Amino acid sequence: MAGPRAEGNLGMTFYLTKRALSLLMVLLGLAVMIFIIARIVPGDPARIALGPLATAAQVEELRQEMGLNDPIHIQLWHYLSGLAQGDLGKSLLTSRPVMDDILQALPATFELVLATVVLQIVISIPLGVLAAYYRDTWVDNVTRVVSLIGVVTPGFVLAIILQLLASYYLTIFPIAGRLDPGLEFQASTTGLLLIDSVIAGRLDVFVDAARHIFLPAIALSAAGIGQVMRITRSSMIEVGSRDFVEAARAYGIPERVVTFRYMLRVASVAPLTILGLEFASLIGNAFVVEFVFSWPGLASYGVRTILQKDLNAVIGVVLVSGVFFVIANLTIDALLGIIDPRHRIREGQRA
Amino acid sequence: MAEPILDISGLDISFTTYGERTQILHDVSMKVGAGERVSLIGQSGSGKTVTMRAIIGTLPMPPGSIDAGSIRFEGTELLTLDKRARNRLKGTGISIVLQDPLLSFNPVLTIGRQMDDVVRFADMRLGTSRPRAERQAHIYEVLRNVQLADGERICHAYPMMLSGGMRQRVLIAMALLNSPRLLIADEPGTALDVTTQQEILILLNKLVDETGMSLMLITHNLGVVREMADRIYVMQRGRIVESGRREEIFSKPSHDYTRELMDAVPSLYGPKVTDVANDKADRTVIKLRDLSKDFPLRAGLFNRQVGISHAVRNVDLDIEHGDIFGIAGESGSGKTTLAKMLLGLFPPTTGEITVDGRNVADVAGTRDFRKLVQIVYQNPGSSLNPKRSVGDQLSVPLIFAGYDKSGIPARIRELLELVDLPARYASMYPHELSGGQKQRVAIARALSVDPKIVVLDEPTSALDVLIQNVVIELLQRLRSELDLTYVFISHDLSLMRNFCNRVAIMFRGEICEQGETPSVFAQPQHPYTRALLSSIPVLTDDEAARKPVVDAAERQAVLASTTTLTQEATNVSDWN
Amino acid sequence: MSVSPSFDDLGPDGGRGRSLTSRQMAWYRFSRNPSALIGTAIVVSVFIAAIFAPFIATSPESAGSHVDFVNRHSAPSWEFLFGTDNVGRDIFSRVVYGYRVSLGLVVGVLGVAVPFGVVLGLAAGYFGGRVEFAIMRLTDIMLAIPPLAMALAITAVLSPNLINAMIAITLLWWTWHTRLIYRIVKGQMAEDYVEAAKVAGASHFHIMFRELLPNCVPAISVKTSLDAGFVILFGAALSFLGLGVAPPTPDLGTMVSTGSEYLPEFWWEALMPGMAILYAILGFNLLGDGLRDMMDVEV
Repeated sequence: MAGPRAEGNLGMTFYLTKRALSLLMVLLGLAVMIFIIARIVPGDPARIALGPLATAAQVEELRQEMGLNDPIHIQLWHYLSGLAQGDLGKSLLTSRPVMDDILQALPATFELVLATVVLQIVISIPLGVLAAYYRDTWVDNVTRVVSLIGVVTPGFVLAIILQLLASYYLTIFPIAGRLDPGLEFQASTTGLLLIDSVIAGRLDVFVDAARHIFLPAIALSAAGIGQVMRITRSSMIEVGSRDFVEAARAYGIPERVVTFRYMLRVASVAPLTILGLEFASLIGNAFVVEFVFSWPGLASYGVRTILQKDLNAVIGVVLVSGVFFVIANLTIDALLGIIDPRHRIREGQRA
Repeated sequence: MAEPILDISGLDISFTTYGERTQILHDVSMKVGAGERVSLIGQSGSGKTVTMRAIIGTLPMPPGSIDAGSIRFEGTELLTLDKRARNRLKGTGISIVLQDPLLSFNPVLTIGRQMDDVVRFADMRLGTSRPRAERQAHIYEVLRNVQLADGERICHAYPMMLSGGMRQRVLIAMALLNSPRLLIADEPGTALDVTTQQEILILLNKLVDETGMSLMLITHNLGVVREMADRIYVMQRGRIVESGRREEIFSKPSHDYTRELMDAVPSLYGPKVTDVANDKADRTVIKLRDLSKDFPLRAGLFNRQVGISHAVRNVDLDIEHGDIFGIAGESGSGKTTLAKMLLGLFPPTTGEITVDGRNVADVAGTRDFRKLVQIVYQNPGSSLNPKRSVGDQLSVPLIFAGYDKSGIPARIRELLELVDLPARYASMYPHELSGGQKQRVAIARALSVDPKIVVLDEPTSALDVLIQNVVIELLQRLRSELDLTYVFISHDLSLMRNFCNRVAIMFRGEICEQGETPSVFAQPQHPYTRALLSSIPVLTDDEAARKPVVDAAERQAVLASTTTLTQEATNVSDWN
Repeated sequence: MSVSPSFDDLGPDGGRGRSLTSRQMAWYRFSRNPSALIGTAIVVSVFIAAIFAPFIATSPESAGSHVDFVNRHSAPSWEFLFGTDNVGRDIFSRVVYGYRVSLGLVVGVLGVAVPFGVVLGLAAGYFGGRVEFAIMRLTDIMLAIPPLAMALAITAVLSPNLINAMIAITLLWWTWHTRLIYRIVKGQMAEDYVEAAKVAGASHFHIMFRELLPNCVPAISVKTSLDAGFVILFGAALSFLGLGVAPPTPDLGTMVSTGSEYLPEFWWEALMPGMAILYAILGFNLLGDGLRDMMDVEV
């Protein structure tokens, strides 16, 4: 027994180190896999990049430049050691280092994804709890219909509907973009408009940025909201049938406390896990939503470069998405470690 | 009896599931007097738990509904009481100890947090409040009442870090935090080993004596009832079929069902004990020589081996042809590991197993070996595949033993007949059968390839006591008809006394004692055997008097403590 | 709130002798579940539309590169139920034919991805050890890839058409089934019937496919039904971004994409195909939910 002193940490450091290591392995695996797909599946990357009209000499020149004539393991080594230094190669589309392009597009996407995840958690978990509490009443039915609509509506269809309703007819929200071009503002501290505007004390920028991000964030979060709500509901119902809930009620703990402290804490593990697992899908959906709302983010960049068959840029986008995924999941692991001590304890004792 | 503290009369409760209404309780009436210990006895499904839930107010409605009757607590009608007043009684008037001590705690909150909540909200309902330090002092005091001295460390622990026995103690403390006048205990200690269960029962009795509260004990175990009840209610299919003082019911039960229940409990000592003999012991069929099995304990960032768990240590055994050889032990004693090595499922670390003259290491996994040794598992709900028909499951060993395909249906009919099941059961699925019928199918499967030896891994412990006896009789009949040798693994010593001709007691991976059943039970040598036997709840005073007497020092030497934080808790900090 | 504990009192050993069989309970749950019934109706209607497209489409020639400038941008009416598009083709007819493409995609993708994912999940759960490590680490890596981005990249490199879209989606889809089956099999491995089969001498093949697989079937069917909707969604998203089915084949995603250029005046050109996508996804989802309630599995 570690005693009261260690109770707060109780293997947290160990647990997170272990999770971080395994997520790093995922990242490395991802890098190698993408390399293999990019080098082997499509044929000659130089030919693809230059198109069918290029001469053999041009192709050969590019092959030299891209190092494609080296043995495959040398190429892999160059590629991986480049990655380790943050070098993703040059974009054929913009002729700039891919890393620079991505860093430029990243804050916009990060802001959108962050807003989306916050919306998902803030909306779906309380609604899921509500649906479970008022199980089989009209409250439950309404939330179920809402969640179903969220799940079955394709992101781009929802984006178009929202644009149509909110922008053309009601004209409450701007149709596209991240900030009104009339507003002079450089997001320099964090790159996130909503935060930088507050730091700079520019309320007008904050309001405008919030209005711009609202529709894309709703369109992007709908699917997750529906799914997380459903899982929260079923998880709450399942936890509600466990003995400790009956015991807590019989000992006279008020229903409000039973629901939020006793049940929700245990029940939130499943929806949080799903949020982590579905994070890659979320970034994928951002491709469509950013496209519709002309959001100047990573996904817009990704779609453009993919259409141009700009291989280095595509690899960069997928890898950076992978890093996103890893960070998101590590955050969720930390959260789960705090919520449920069994996570860290089990991890530590896993045979 | 003085004014009853709890008075239930004419209670009818029904459940509606899938559109069908089923009445669960029929006209149930019972009384509990102040300071009285009352037991409600019944098998699973008799309606005990529903009764308990109706009393404490946690009956799910719907699907449940209370159709008639009244529940009075200290003269107040509970069923019509407004919610606030009813809530005020929870934990303070009536409290409960649920069956499974692990599941009764919230796994993600510390023990201290959960206990503090119970005290704090009870104060709130009663319109008082105490400072945190005072509540804490109160919690430590109640923990001391259940013989847990180290309140601070327990309060900082999570439930999973305590041993089963300790959790049970903490759970009782939790129920007693607000000094209830009536404590309802649902199968206390049933989930624990018998030695631990004994300690919990002694503790409960002590608490009733000291606090003067009433105790309502819900159980299926008549041995427990003898030690724990002044009065008894017997419940069958939602009806109270018999009630009265314990001595009266134990000496002359009037209802058939009560008599059946009492007859079904195997005796440990006395005239009702049957000695089992083996007149076919012409050769040794199983030889274990210096058998050990170690499992590596792994932990750390790279799963390095940090230690060794000795599951089985230096076991020597000889089992004769025709024996019913009992291997007894509590959970974690290594008895199941031993059985699996015998079946060749994994190899021993050191030592040798010889079955019918052949080394298991050489023949494990071969067709011949399968025709030699088979197994019946504890829980037929798990050992039968829920998605395959009885016939399909019986055919598996036959197919892989190379039976002629065309002969298989006939063989399946023969096997079902052997275990007294009609041939049409071949097309049924496990969920359509009762627990006893499922276990018959599992026995038929084990016998399908005509093995000479059958390992019985607690074959009756998942069954109700009445069904248990039927299965035991079946096994006895099959043994003589088919010339079988049984290796019977169990924690139930009373049953072993009447079923096995020889027994071995396992303790922390070793065999601490073995011999002819009557002599081991009459003169147990090892302190652990003595402690085990002395803990078994029996039905008569005569039997109780014949149990070995074990003093506290002797118990302590062989039993894991349930009052101090032990191994499990320290494991957690090893890697921290 | 709890329902299940009362079942202890109703189990086969409860002695009441009139408990429902599980099949009756499942049917009761299904028939009392409006979402399951509506879902079934929608899915059936989508299949009928796709199979009998030439008979249902009011203007079958609209399925091709038909041009009718007189009727271009016509609003929905009795003649053109969903209106017409920028070259005067009947959107309703194109939607009906579009379902052929969508369902073709579903069958193609799930027909390969589900069996493949299931077999890998079975193998990982049953064999454990190195097999488990290899398969499950691979799915972990796949999980970190944004599926839409990957599918876009693959189709872009391989040139956009239905077959390549199918290949790209299939490459990503199996992992979810692998994870699901792996989780179930891991749970089932703790049941004694697996060991009992080993003791009976059953082969690996027998245990995996005859003992374990039947226990995965409810989860597979629910998951596959839900998946069907999402494959449609995925395919539509691909072609919406210009990397799916090549014109003039009527494809719902492409129609939304083209139609969105004429927003907001000719709203039906994007919205009607969008709603058609939604309708099909809704159907498969409701059906999946209904099956989930009926078979009582968590997917």
